[in-house]
Amino acid sequence: MTLIFSFAQAAFIVLLAPGMVGFVRTLKARFQNRRGAPILLPYWSLLSLFRKEMTITRNSSWIFHAVPFVVFASALTLAFLIPTLGYSGGHLGDIFLVGAIMALGSVFLVFGGMDTASAFGNMGSSREMTLSALVEPALYVSLGTLAIIAGAPNLESILERFSSASALDILPIAALSLFALFLVFLSENARYPVDNPATHLELTMVHEAMVLEYSGAYLALLEYASAIKLTVLFAFLMDLVVPFGIVHLPFTPLTLLVACVALLGKLVLAALLVAFVESTIVKMRFYRMQEFMSLGFIVAFAGLLLALIFGRPL
Amino acid sequence: MSFILPLFVFSLSIPLVVAVVAVGVGNRSWGNILVQLLMIFGGVTGFIASTLFLFGGGDSSIVSGLLSFPAPLDAWFAIDTLRAFFLLFVYAGMMLTSLYSLGYLPKYRGVYSLPALNAALALFVFGMGATIMSASIFSFLLFWKVMSVSAYFLVIADRSAESLSAGFSYFLMTHIGFVSLLAGFLLLSGGNVFASFLSIAASAAGLSSFVRATAFFLLFIGFGSKAGLVPLHQWLPYAHPQAPSNASALMSGVMLKVALFGFIQSLFLFSEIPLWWSCVVMAVGLVSAFFGVLHAAVESDVKRLLAWSSIENMGLLFSALGGIGIIGSLPLGLGAQPLIGALAFFVALHAVNHFLFKSGLFMAAGAVVSETHTRDLDQLGGLAQKWPLFSAAFLALSLAASALPPFGAFYGEWAYLQTLVAAIGSGITALAVPAGVALSLISLISGLAIFTFAKAFSSIFLGRARTNHAENVGHLHWALVTPVVLTAVASLATGLVAVPLGSLIAGATSTGDWSASLAPLPRASINPLVVLLIVMLTLTLAFVASRIFGAPRIRRTDTWDCGQPLTRRMEYTATGFAAPIRFFFKSIVLAEKRMTATPIIASNPWIASRSLEWKVSSFWERALYEPLGKLMLRVADVIKHLQSGVVQFYLLLVFATLVVVMSTAL
Repeated sequence: MTLIFSFAQAAFIVLLAPGMVGFVRTLKARFQNRRGAPILLPYWSLLSLFRKEMTITRNSSWIFHAVPFVVFASALTLAFLIPTLGYSGGHLGDIFLVGAIMALGSVFLVFGGMDTASAFGNMGSSREMTLSALVEPALYVSLGTLAIIAGAPNLESILERFSSASALDILPIAALSLFALFLVFLSENARYPVDNPATHLELTMVHEAMVLEYSGAYLALLEYASAIKLTVLFAFLMDLVVPFGIVHLPFTPLTLLVACVALLGKLVLAALLVAFVESTIVKMRFYRMQEFMSLGFIVAFAGLLLALIFGRPL
Repeated sequence: MSFILPLFVFSLSIPLVVAVVAVGVGNRSWGNILVQLLMIFGGVTGFIASTLFLFGGGDSSIVSGLLSFPAPLDAWFAIDTLRAFFLLFVYAGMMLTSLYSLGYLPKYRGVYSLPALNAALALFVFGMGATIMSASIFSFLLFWKVMSVSAYFLVIADRSAESLSAGFSYFLMTHIGFVSLLAGFLLLSGGNVFASFLSIAASAAGLSSFVRATAFFLLFIGFGSKAGLVPLHQWLPYAHPQAPSNASALMSGVMLKVALFGFIQSLFLFSEIPLWWSCVVMAVGLVSAFFGVLHAAVESDVKRLLAWSSIENMGLLFSALGGIGIIGSLPLGLGAQPLIGALAFFVALHAVNHFLFKSGLFMAAGAVVSETHTRDLDQLGGLAQKWPLFSAAFLALSLAASALPPFGAFYGEWAYLQTLVAAIGSGITALAVPAGVALSLISLISGLAIFTFAKAFSSIFLGRARTNHAENVGHLHWALVTPVVLTAVASLATGLVAVPLGSLIAGATSTGDWSASLAPLPRASINPLVVLLIVMLTLTLAFVASRIFGAPRIRRTDTWDCGQPLTRRMEYTATGFAAPIRFFFKSIVLAEKRMTATPIIASNPWIASRSLEWKVSSFWERALYEPLGKLMLRVADVIKHLQSGVVQFYLLLVFATLVVVMSTAL
């Protein structure tokens, strides 16, 4: 039952992911007074990418071919491990396992950028590796804090804790950690102010530079992977912030339907948040990234203190 | 009928025989083969003996977990579970590196004197095995010395100026370490150098707390300097890489574990360990791990990078030992056992995994160097196209060294981090504060470790070769590839059996107070097999997804070059790759870059030949060693005034010294 539920959850996220990306793009366009592309466009671009011929550089090895599969698999694994619709008593989503799977995806993306002999890919790789190394403390400290609040170090228990307690009890304590997690997820998903997902300007790109040499089905896998990662991470974050409609055993068709609708609503909220952030702040210079990362870490650590000091009576 | 004992004696003495044989056979071409086969044979017997001891246990000569040797040897050697566990490293290392040496050493016939090198290697292995088996201080220190001195000869094996200087600083540091070990042990045993470890544990309890603290920190300095803990780490990144790669693999993979073993064994000599001792151990461990990984991240010499990463891993292991001490000294009651068990699980599993991936990576680096003739990452590249299998093994080892799933090192670190989170959540200030600091630092360390090995792997194997040497590599000898593949497979296997393995080696720390079940915290169990299954499944799904419209058509092209042909000089080098880390940590890494431009035509400053000078200096060298050196010189200047040249005055000084010695010693 747990496994079936996890599969269904993952399938739901995987289906929604390109739509989420399209929705964020449309919202950003609206913020900029443009009409923007249709929300469903990413589905069509993925499909057409899957059918296209691939060009692969002569300067690459078997690693270049392995990268899209590993990256896509890591994103799928995240969708499988991270609870979004609800929890079913499984404890697969261990916080450190989730962090490590994210890191595994980043490392292979980096390999993909390095296996091209092009300075673009190399530059993106160097930057991405730096960012994902520096973001770890904030990620683990904030997830650890949530685990302490929940009393168990896995995401299912965290979700259970957040959805069963009254929001006024738990949100003030967890607020800083959730904010730190938001900063981490912005960085992990190559969004503003860390990276610009819509640029091909060499000075600013990180993620886009790494996938520059990819084309056709491989590019589709990589794009799809980043869409899944964006969707699942923000879905989980919004689940904690707005713990409404989260299903748990025993499931009924009604609660499941409510959960699906609620998740859609949360994704809309997340997209609004991301689009708002991206339209109101500027991208930071890469060599100022340590400020962003330190901010994330300090907020996470302050969140830990907050949880330790005020979290006891809960 | 006992058969374990003869096996141990046999495997202990084989390296001694080999040392003689190695000199006897001289430079004959079959000599190296004979020597290495003998070593492999000895390694296999030793490995079987230790495994039998750990898992068999039914042998009649083992009395309450202790295997005693017959009369003349019983004062020298003994085997218990902890020793047998650490002997596994020695003998596994002996097997793997000897297999490797079959293909590796013949390539260096002109550089090294093979008989001398093989004899030194055999003595080195003998010293490590005998140190671990030692039952008394005397034999421990004697064989420790054998190990350290033969390691010196391995460091200077190629007799280059660089090796000699690295060897000198190693020799100096190893003696500082040795002296503090000697002093520490003598303080504990009340001056009896022949005391056995069992008797010290009893006699040390009566000492005053000041003496015990002094002895503890002397031992910590002694073992810590061998393990490369900050600030006594300065020699390690220079000495380990200078040795031939088979010896580097043994030094980083095994000798550091001997230091770890020595420290763990000494912990049992103290009846109680106060909180602040453990806090110091943990802090030193964390600082070492941080500095180690930071320097590894910016290092461009492949073997030195691995040596820096050894400092990181030893730092993590020592910090976990400190953590065990902290938990043990707090009044936690029953709640302490699972935490201690989980940390001990980390120590055991990470020791195994660090041995596997580090010796594997050192051997792999040696194989790369033997074909490309450079250790400089900036001059490598593109090797994955030439050596697919070897690059896959190196990739697996790099992922293992980055503590990423599904490799064993991940499950070790995972248990450590889980324990830290549980410790923070315990709500006890003395526990939560160090655990919170450790959680933040270790996550930064593990992030930088991923950076380090992503950099190492991609600069050696990916993209395009950066020099002709790297472009025109030949085939690798099978004996160079096999041990690397073996270590890679083994580190994957430890990942799969990590949790069951935990309960199997539960005996490894069953002496003393640590008799906890050696397992990760129960509430945080993940099944490695399930993780692997999920990864496999998603990989299959990814493959299916890429084929929804049939097999993709592929066209081989050039890399996109903006209309101007790319040269290999345009690729990022490892130095360039690490530039952001150097920048973000510039106050600690202290990188110095000096560009000098000399105009070729005096009238035109734009046409110039430029040269780049480049140095990453050590924070500790700047903050500790240089001031210390200056202080020494200044003190020496003052003392110089004693040198009047008058013989009577010197004799007076001798007399005064004798009086002082008499009054304190009698």
